Amino acid sequence: MTADFVSLPDLAARISDGDALALGGSFLHRGPFALVRELIRQGRTDLEIIKQSPGYDIDALCRAGRVAKARCGIVAMEGNFGLAPWYRKAIENKATELEEHACASLTAGLRAAAFGVPFQPIGGLDGSALPDLNGWKRIEDPYGSGRGAYVIPAITPDFAVVHTPEVSPNGDVRVLGTPHWDRIMTRAAKKVLVVAERVEPLETFQERPEMTLVPHFMVDAVAVVPHGAWPGSCHPDYAIDYPAVERYLTDTDEAFAAHLAEAPETREEAVRG
Amino acid sequence: MAERWSPFSYIVTNLARFVRPHEVTFSGVNSALPMLACLLAKRAYDFDFTYINVAGGVDPEPSSVPLSSSDPVLAEKSASIFANEDFYDLCTRGRMDLCFLGAAQVDGRGRTNVSAIGDWHAPKVRLPGGGGGAVMLPTARRACTWRTEHSTRTMVQTLDFVTASGGDARGGMHGVVTPIAVFVNDGTRLVLDSWHPDVTLDDVIARTGFAVDASGAKPTPPPTDRERAALRAIDPDGAFERDTTIRS
Repeated sequence: MTADFVSLPDLAARISDGDALALGGSFLHRGPFALVRELIRQGRTDLEIIKQSPGYDIDALCRAGRVAKARCGIVAMEGNFGLAPWYRKAIENKATELEEHACASLTAGLRAAAFGVPFQPIGGLDGSALPDLNGWKRIEDPYGSGRGAYVIPAITPDFAVVHTPEVSPNGDVRVLGTPHWDRIMTRAAKKVLVVAERVEPLETFQERPEMTLVPHFMVDAVAVVPHGAWPGSCHPDYAIDYPAVERYLTDTDEAFAAHLAEAPETREEAVRG
Repeated sequence: MAERWSPFSYIVTNLARFVRPHEVTFSGVNSALPMLACLLAKRAYDFDFTYINVAGGVDPEPSSVPLSSSDPVLAEKSASIFANEDFYDLCTRGRMDLCFLGAAQVDGRGRTNVSAIGDWHAPKVRLPGGGGGAVMLPTARRACTWRTEHSTRTMVQTLDFVTASGGDARGGMHGVVTPIAVFVNDGTRLVLDSWHPDVTLDDVIARTGFAVDASGAKPTPPPTDRERAALRAIDPDGAFERDTTIRS
């Protein structure tokens, strides 16, 4: 089973209102931002966003009023831009429900889903108010070591959506640099969607199979969108476009519309399947 | 003036002074000042230590210093990618020597709030969240944090929410650096280790929300030539210094 290669609008159309999305990358780095913007354009709403360290992605979705629930560890624009302003407003005015995690507790929930078990023990959390807030239980070692651990219930996203520099013609995903949390997200989710900078020859994947993060049989569909992680970075192709992030942060509806309109995927060559 | 502190150099250099020989030290997301501290320590100190970061870098040689402390530049010349799951697991199994973790409020026990100002359920300000803190603070061998404002609203008697705590058994906040003071944990609570020579001890006490034990404290030793040279090298045009809003 190879992945479907589709246009970005068709990739976004596979996601329904109310779906739970694990978004790859971290802060302004290698996020599936073209797909996030396409969801906004298509009017998708009531989304649940699952990500250890979201920023621009969840902020833009909150700005458009599309996030019902956020399950996150740390949310900020980063790169000296500070708090994510529209996410902050959405939580403060209760438009979005927050399930606050540590990054590692969210990972533990994803690991439970990936391992096919109902919960996952995790180190740490001692003394934190987060377990009480979230109703996380602590269990004793059934093997009698006398040590205990908190256990996090499984977190199963409907989709993991990752952005990658390179895919094979079959949909194998090759990430360069850190995978962030993409590996566990793709193992935990029911389906995997991929936005890629480009297609590279299958032979290059066969020569270095250990470089492949996600094999093609796990990938539902791929859209090739050059520069799709803009205004963030995609290693090794491009760095953060800081002036574009500043323009995004301008607090007017016109600025947000202009930001969506200047995105790379709006250029004609980018929307071909 | 050359050996005097700026508020920026005070925080970065005193964070770097927590780095110890032959240890594993980590800097994470949203942490430009600890990132600079780790890069400074590599240049200014003769001892070897392992610097790992959230970009997956292990003893990287970045060609430039990025604004974002999770930038892929921080993995340049790294011979491996030690990814997010790897460094969290390293920490929870007790092998992380020093972690730098962010905080909005710090209390006298070194616990932190990075979640909300006001009631968590009806926050006056929704903060970023703790990221690594709740798991790393109780499991790292030592953790340090920093505040760019030293006041009774950042160094507090009572946290609005306990995002991360040291727990009871081990770990916990080892050190805190502000623009005017360095606190170190004595095993049960934070005590003043040293203070900025341009402010008075009374200032530090008045601007701290929790009771300050200053019995072992002294003025902070000035930056060494090598520390100053290292900071100049990693922030040559002062961009980070200008970018960092510090209320001293």
